[in-house]
Amino acid sequence: MLSIAVSKGRLLDSFAEILEKAQYPCDVLQEETRKLVVESSQAGLRFILAKPADVPTYVEYGAADLGVVGKDTLAEADKNVAELLDLDYGRCTMIVAVPQSLGITDVSELDFNSRVASKYPGIATEFFNRKGIQVEVIPLHGSIELGPLIGLSEAIVDITETGRTLVENGLVVIDSIMESTSRLVANRVSLKVKRQEITNLVNAIEGVL
Amino acid sequence: MGLQTPRGVKDFLPEEAIWKQQIEGRLRDVFMHWGYQEVVTPTFEFYDTLDLGETTTEQTYRFLGRDGELLALRSDLTTPIARMVATRLKDLEKPLRLSYLANVFRYDEVQVGFQREFFQAGVELIGSTQPAADAEGIALAVEAFKAMGVQNFCVDIGQVQYLQGIMEECGCPTIMNQVRQVLIHQDFVGLKAILAQSNIDQDIKRILLDLPQLRGKADVFDRALALTHNDRAKQAVENLQSIYAVLEGYGVTDHIHIDFGMVKSLDYYTGMILEGYTPNLGSTLCSGGRYDNLSSKFGQPLPAVGFALGLERLMLVLERQGLRPADQGETYLVLPRHWPNALAHAQTLRQQGHRVEVDVQGLGVDEAVVYAKAKGISFVILVEDTDEKTVYRQE
Repeated sequence: MLSIAVSKGRLLDSFAEILEKAQYPCDVLQEETRKLVVESSQAGLRFILAKPADVPTYVEYGAADLGVVGKDTLAEADKNVAELLDLDYGRCTMIVAVPQSLGITDVSELDFNSRVASKYPGIATEFFNRKGIQVEVIPLHGSIELGPLIGLSEAIVDITETGRTLVENGLVVIDSIMESTSRLVANRVSLKVKRQEITNLVNAIEGVL
Repeated sequence: MGLQTPRGVKDFLPEEAIWKQQIEGRLRDVFMHWGYQEVVTPTFEFYDTLDLGETTTEQTYRFLGRDGELLALRSDLTTPIARMVATRLKDLEKPLRLSYLANVFRYDEVQVGFQREFFQAGVELIGSTQPAADAEGIALAVEAFKAMGVQNFCVDIGQVQYLQGIMEECGCPTIMNQVRQVLIHQDFVGLKAILAQSNIDQDIKRILLDLPQLRGKADVFDRALALTHNDRAKQAVENLQSIYAVLEGYGVTDHIHIDFGMVKSLDYYTGMILEGYTPNLGSTLCSGGRYDNLSSKFGQPLPAVGFALGLERLMLVLERQGLRPADQGETYLVLPRHWPNALAHAQTLRQQGHRVEVDVQGLGVDEAVVYAKAKGISFVILVEDTDEKTVYRQE
């Protein structure tokens, strides 16, 4: 039995679809439930329903053998887990955006008085450090677009799929940091102890991607 | 500032402290019976000295001495022992077998069973290049787990020269370095991306992608050999084969897996590498390998092999496997109504190996029973001038 930490929502449906195609039946994921752990004995899988940002932690500690998590969250968490597969859905881009009214077109125009709001303070800090640009990163937990609107920050670092929310809030993209898709990750010891089971699952998923 | 302790350190309360001591005692015993002599190195040393071992990182605790010299808390024992061997022990007959039980310090994110201060037990076998020396290190790791009663443990062994041999074939240092980094992080998605963009040989790409499959029992040797023509890589396989042959003699191969895909983040390994783990813990229990170049940094080129295991992690595993010893033996409380007799009686019980408290508070019998119950004491003995009687017995 393999345990997989996943987060609820739209992305879980995409993963369930992949599993079904790969002959790992998991109807349990479609059921409306408040349970935090559901099991598909047919597929030999136990699903742990977690918050996205917690998935890398569950896997690092070995509380789950595997996890499904966006590359953005994975990079921000910086945990010691093995990254097995790019699941190729949930595609989005991590961008730097500023209000159009600011007239800035390049990140280098941000000066040391600039504040950058982000749900990804680690990635944002690393990005600006690498560029040699001094900014103050302000960690937020959601609605990042609000930052520039109400004068909390000059810029934001956030993920976007279509860019529509940005446009609606009068923001323009001035740089992109990374592309992100959902990834299958594994605990390092599980990868050794349950190698065969994990290899079978990985091969089956790879076959239908 | 309150009365808390800083993040990353913890107190061992009496029950944990005594258990830790028992574990240390048993490990010390195993190491001693294999001819290893325990050494103690300083908790802090000159930063520059530890830095020679290239094990210092951002995680090293650094501070200034009173004279302004830069000092560092040890982050492992391998470097201090290499320094000790290259200086104070340089004239001793080799090989040397040294062991240690010590606390080490790393300013790291707190991880599974790894606080910022944690305890390590380990050995170093210094002065031999022979596969038998590698095998002894591996077999001793197995023996240590067995002595502790750890269930379902495995030790994976690999050889760093295999991957290095294959990588030198691809000829591009930039790509070699990138590949090494993603393999250390076991980022197989990143590995695919790097290989897809590079123009290195198709055969080498295939080996690198298949690397995770090069793990298993003795059949892995042939598969690993068949994959490459590189001499260095082939010699690595042959070296691990020789080591494995000795391990068969030790009768420990049931616990051993061969893994040519294992990559270590530490640069100083030059040959065999090992990692021990159990299904009960999501991280490794012990780690080690051959490091032939370290001591030459201290002016004495001496090949060496060693491993260290994390004591807190070991305790965590034992607890999860239900192997934490429950009872610590019988304890006595002596109530002295006649001091010379009471003290003589206490002494007799101690000589029989029991743990004995002599009441200093002048407790009455009822008070003594309350105290004994609260502390889990097994017997309360009232000693008068003419006789002694047991006034309480734990149920």
